[in-house]
Amino acid sequence: MKESLMDILCDPLDKSDLELEVDERDGEEIIEGRLVGTVTGEVYPIEDGIPNLLPPDMRDEE
Amino acid sequence: MTDRTGGADGTKRDLAASRGIETDVYQPAEDSGLLASAVEKRGRGRLLEVGTGSGWVAARAAREAPEVTSVVASDLSPHACRAARRRAMGAGGDDRTRNEAGGQGPTGDDAGGDDRPNGGATVDVADGSPLFDVVRADLVAPFADDAFDTVAFNPPYLPTDPENEWDDWMERALSGGESGRELIDPFLETVGRVLAPDGVALLLVSSLTGYGAVLDAVRECGFDHEVVVEESYPFETLSVLALTHGSET
Repeated sequence: MKESLMDILCDPLDKSDLELEVDERDGEEIIEGRLVGTVTGEVYPIEDGIPNLLPPDMRDEE
Repeated sequence: MTDRTGGADGTKRDLAASRGIETDVYQPAEDSGLLASAVEKRGRGRLLEVGTGSGWVAARAAREAPEVTSVVASDLSPHACRAARRRAMGAGGDDRTRNEAGGQGPTGDDAGGDDRPNGGATVDVADGSPLFDVVRADLVAPFADDAFDTVAFNPPYLPTDPENEWDDWMERALSGGESGRELIDPFLETVGRVLAPDGVALLLVSSLTGYGAVLDAVRECGFDHEVVVEESYPFETLSVLALTHGSET
């Protein structure tokens, strides 16, 4: 995901802001990392450039 | 989804299998082509495609919709997200390659983009950044208020007997539950939040789902609507509705 996407993402649980933590980036592109709910504390992983913003109870299915 | 309407489970699976390499992800068909042409007509600004599947419509929007400036594609399925991401990165997602390889693209005369040259690209991918962003999401849940000028959705809409559900990812790409509206209703109830005040939602509706029932839900959720494109096929009529915030909201 591009870092600019942060402008339009929010925590799916309560629509509050998310904080970006980056493990690997390629220019503007975030490859690995996580998004953390500033209110809920929920952690949403970013893997292979795809943020998984499913709420926790929907997340385990593959 | 025209040709998936009549068959038993086995038939639908065979069709799904013959259409794409992976059977977990819905591959572009007539409905995809129709939604893409509606996006080219009415899409503008920042666009979200909900339930993007293989990412084909999102890629068309990013490349060819003249007034669309950026695209986000989302899906519930991890398989779809990965397929869409591959397409976004330009690997294995080129329309020309795919159509030459298997003719899997839309077949409707007005719906297909098969005759287009490669021109018209609106996004420069030379720097290695993807054509569009992919987010794994439940409908519009993780997107900010008023974030999008355009939201496009080709929902899973086939009415399905609960006893015949397969309970896998292809099932979830096709089935709209018993009514056919299991995803349409929650979409209509939530999309207004992420749509800018003058934004437009483009919703594909099949006659199989019950056009009147969808229109009732559209009105209940406070949207005005107009038909952007419509195509008739042997088993269904497909329409794309443009939904805008009603005057009361």
